[in-house]
Amino acid sequence: MRIFGYLSKKVGDLTVKYSNLPESYIKRSYEQVYWKNPTGYPQYAKAQIARKRYRFTTNRPWTGQFQQQNERNTHRKKVFLEPIAEWSFFKGDRVEIMVGRDKGKQGIVSQVIQERNWVIVEGLNTHLRVMGKTKTFPGVTIQSEAPLLVTNQVKLVDPESLKPTEIEWRYTEEGQKVRVSKASSRIIPIPKSAEETMDFKSKALYIENTEKDTAADEVTKITFAPKLRTFEMDIMEEQGIKEDRVPAKSYWY
Amino acid sequence: MNKIFNKILRCSVVLNKSQNVYRMGPVAIKNNFHTTSAKCDLMEFFDTKKNWSESNIRVGRAWKLDELRIKSNSDLHKLWYVLLKERNMLFTMEQECNAKVRLFPNPERIDKVQESMENIEKVVRERNIAYYKLETGETGERPVEDVVNLIGLQEKYEKKEYAIPRFLNSRWVKPYLENGYTNSYAIKKFLRLYKEKQYNEKRKARNRDYNHVQQLLKRFPDMDMELLKAEYPNVDIEKAKRTKKARGNYMPKY
Repeated sequence: MRIFGYLSKKVGDLTVKYSNLPESYIKRSYEQVYWKNPTGYPQYAKAQIARKRYRFTTNRPWTGQFQQQNERNTHRKKVFLEPIAEWSFFKGDRVEIMVGRDKGKQGIVSQVIQERNWVIVEGLNTHLRVMGKTKTFPGVTIQSEAPLLVTNQVKLVDPESLKPTEIEWRYTEEGQKVRVSKASSRIIPIPKSAEETMDFKSKALYIENTEKDTAADEVTKITFAPKLRTFEMDIMEEQGIKEDRVPAKSYWY
Repeated sequence: MNKIFNKILRCSVVLNKSQNVYRMGPVAIKNNFHTTSAKCDLMEFFDTKKNWSESNIRVGRAWKLDELRIKSNSDLHKLWYVLLKERNMLFTMEQECNAKVRLFPNPERIDKVQESMENIEKVVRERNIAYYKLETGETGERPVEDVVNLIGLQEKYEKKEYAIPRFLNSRWVKPYLENGYTNSYAIKKFLRLYKEKQYNEKRKARNRDYNHVQQLLKRFPDMDMELLKAEYPNVDIEKAKRTKKARGNYMPKY
């Protein structure tokens, strides 16, 4: 069997950005590979047996809940996603809800789930959920927000008129890509909280791990000086390793 | 530079200072020179004791290619060993955590270290290729040839190095077809079946896409058709629109 690239839905860019995890880690944490042929042997074709379709939900792909929802032998209906040209909803955006009980209300986007074209709006489009109910305990009722589709269930709010509006991506004269409201041609800036990740609110607020991290100013220091030497020659010279032997003639075939 | 790498190489420096300072000689301190042999026991394979009970050890991201390109060869060399030690430590800790049925904190650290090491290799390779191209006009990489292998499939053959030339080497058997062609019945049969398999895969993918587009049209009739065309270029959308599946008699839930 061949590995079908088009069957495995990729995790959204914004999800990867929010997680602040290496992509390879996200991949290996959510993928379920049941069998993989050994690599590096000519007799084995490149093949694997793995789960092909994953159900992406509000649970993030690297979490245990995601694994639970995608347990082996659980199969759920295929989800159809409307293709989207360019993602234009970010955490912290003010949006208006176009459907449901909270139709016409405005709120702030608190989560973006790109794999399903969803956003979650803080405190809106909610339902009640009873948690921890037992025979003796009636349980605790909490309000939980249901996700909304970005295609037709929410719209960005125009900063001038505070009315829902269509947007358009355009370039400013400085070459910056911005969202422009179609109603008033005003720029809708991308909020600061869009760069929030699991680890830090913004890049500037990241606290370095002094034991493990290399300091930022050390990283940007330029120590490279071009020399007419290979890496090995340079290291050997620096370490005082002298090599006078001439390698015998060899043949490549 | 040493100084920062020392920081990452935490166990040797941090622990030594507290345990026995005299082992790091005055010269060493002056030059800020770091040798890992200062504490050459197996505990270097483990994390510092302080981190054993931690449930979250947060670290920064991996080194990017552009950050490594501005570093000198010796810095890359040192950083490689820092990362190698870190990787060994992480693998040991992971193994130990599994053995003790504990949760290994932040397993993504392994991926970060791995990515940094791969990037270092890439940068070193880039530099060497630049040197060899300038000096010899060749890349200096292991030569690779496009061949047709013994079962008739296209393959990249990585050449090997031998002490004697090919015409003297009577034990060497060519692992690919001479002119890319053979008259063998078995290989022809294999290729015929292989092509059929490939064709079936393609056909299934085409049908799957066609059905998928029909379902999309049923669910989202007002969808942007340009986008749909761009995403599924092989599907005849006008044809898909006319089908019974695309019409639908009710609004499906998803």
